[in-house]
Amino acid sequence: MDLFLQLLITGIMLGSIFALVALGWVLIYKCSGVLNLAMGELTMIGGYVCLGLYQRFVTTMPIEYAFLLALIGTIFVGLFLGLLTERIFLRKMIGEPILAVIMVTVGLSFFFKGMVFIIWDTDTQVFLPRVFPIEPAVIAGVAIGQVYIWSFVAALILMVIFVSFFKYTRWGLSMQACADDEMAALSLGVSAKFVYALAWAIAFMAAGVGGTLLGNINGLNYSVSLLGLLVLPVVVFGGLNSIPGAIVGGITIGILQNLSGGYLDRFFPGGIKEIAPFVFMVIFLLFKPYGLWGWERIERV
Amino acid sequence: MSYLPCGYYFEDYADDQKWWRTRFIKGKMILMVVLLATLPLLVDSQWLSVAYTINYYILAALGVQLLIGYCGQITLGHAAFVAVGGYTTALMMLNVPWPQSMIDGGLVYPICIICAGFLAAIWSVLFGLPSARVKGFYLIMTTMAAQWITVPLVITQYVAQIGGRGQAFSIPTEMIKIGPFSIDSDTKIYYFSVILVAVCLVAMGNMVRSKLGRAWIAIRDNDIAAETMGVNIVGYKLLAFFVAGFFAGIAGAFYISALFFVSPEHYEWFFSLLWVGIILIGGVGSIQGLVFGSIFVVMVFKLLEIAVMGSSDLLMASYPQLGWMTTKIIFFKEAAFGLAIIFFLIYEPNGLSYRYWQLKNYFNLWPFSYTGK
Repeated sequence: MDLFLQLLITGIMLGSIFALVALGWVLIYKCSGVLNLAMGELTMIGGYVCLGLYQRFVTTMPIEYAFLLALIGTIFVGLFLGLLTERIFLRKMIGEPILAVIMVTVGLSFFFKGMVFIIWDTDTQVFLPRVFPIEPAVIAGVAIGQVYIWSFVAALILMVIFVSFFKYTRWGLSMQACADDEMAALSLGVSAKFVYALAWAIAFMAAGVGGTLLGNINGLNYSVSLLGLLVLPVVVFGGLNSIPGAIVGGITIGILQNLSGGYLDRFFPGGIKEIAPFVFMVIFLLFKPYGLWGWERIERV
Repeated sequence: MSYLPCGYYFEDYADDQKWWRTRFIKGKMILMVVLLATLPLLVDSQWLSVAYTINYYILAALGVQLLIGYCGQITLGHAAFVAVGGYTTALMMLNVPWPQSMIDGGLVYPICIICAGFLAAIWSVLFGLPSARVKGFYLIMTTMAAQWITVPLVITQYVAQIGGRGQAFSIPTEMIKIGPFSIDSDTKIYYFSVILVAVCLVAMGNMVRSKLGRAWIAIRDNDIAAETMGVNIVGYKLLAFFVAGFFAGIAGAFYISALFFVSPEHYEWFFSLLWVGIILIGGVGSIQGLVFGSIFVVMVFKLLEIAVMGSSDLLMASYPQLGWMTTKIIFFKEAAFGLAIIFFLIYEPNGLSYRYWQLKNYFNLWPFSYTGK
């Protein structure tokens, strides 16, 4: 039972990071209709940028300030990269067929991956000195690594910020309008280009923070981008254009991944932990292809 | 179809659909055959290996072209089916007690190729089943899942452990023999690959210009409309997955002869995306485009390798700190490939085959080229 509780709680906390990254994905899809396969690489870029900044800052100031500054720096780099990516690559693809847009994001993922590994090495890098203390905290009799708790808190705060931004601010409302009906939004004076740029910037920022947190848990290497790719089962489960779906889906996939890693590993040794979400996704697709709260598309000839 | 030059008139459909319609095309094809046959005399073995890598990519991307370009079913997991082909061949060669007469007679490898094709085709149909219910992005997800389930899980964890040889299987060279010809040098691998590509391309070309191909194209253009016209869309979609998987299995079985061993890292997700990239660069829905795309991608990789290696040799003398460039060549390749896909999609969405089509029309209509624009 203890093992189950521990796996469950860690799963929820890990899942909150997936939910954060999935939120960025869903925003892009809702606002601009782009199905982004580069999310894993965006996550990885965020992690590496934060690591680089952290290593620079930590020599001159205490660990907490250095990490916070590095995180803020990552968010700003993400903002800048997001705007740039949208402007250079994605804006030209508005209205192109789905395969073309998807393959542009695949091209982006190759480009980003290549650039990350040209600049940084492929060896696993860790945040040194450690940002979060290594001794676990005990919650309700279950030992949880502190890094998970802090990640959970950070992901939760950011999710609240993003969702309230989307719901209550002027820019967020224009994004909502654009997601709802692009033509109507355009005719009412909402700038679609601005909305797309904003969506990409938010996705980059969310993925950057997610990558930083994942990098703190396991160290940074290529596997972070594979974890970022788990955003795809998440959004399929939650529904492609549903923000609550992304959050619920993220946490579900986190729990599922941890439980399968804990219980199924002895039956299927090896990579079951990484594969389980994809297996789950295929089975789920067969029965409920539009996810929990996704919109069902009705097609006409 | 391109415009015909002056003086050619066809009176029935069969004439119009012929492979080689004009005398010029016949001459061109004969020239190409001569060139392909004499290539081993003209270049050294380094470039021959480039040539058969191109052929391998053509074979592997053939199924992708069929699924994406002709049937409209986007697949991002084709390396899984190639992997099934490769591992089927390897395991059959190693684990089946072949009688010595069959090994000497060179029957083993052809049998393995056929079996690899069928097994990969069945595996492909299995992951094509969701296409009956979902399409677009959701189908992309299931084909991606095919990749993730097949290569890192099933093959790496289970299939590659059969016989306890470790992950990489090496194949005894005397097994790789077709009839009296033992495929053991770059030249022979090259000829074998050319023959295989020719057979597969002819098969594919005949399929897409028959009833089968017209049904696939109807599904690609509008599946609901195709259904109302009486096309059994589930059946034809699964048939497309079957044929694409068969080609993938043949590609996997062929690559055994070039490598003499098989290991999961030759079937990573990168290759699935690479083959989709190849058909996008070459042109979606065109067999020529497939060939152009393969040539383009492999040549760009090769030239990039030469450029980085060469320049780092030159630079190393004066700037020894640049030695890292050679160790990171694969990432230069990946970044360049990513940029190539993006720029082709943005600036040349019809691919290289469209340019070739324009060029052909220009000369066919010359000197009245303005009519063909």
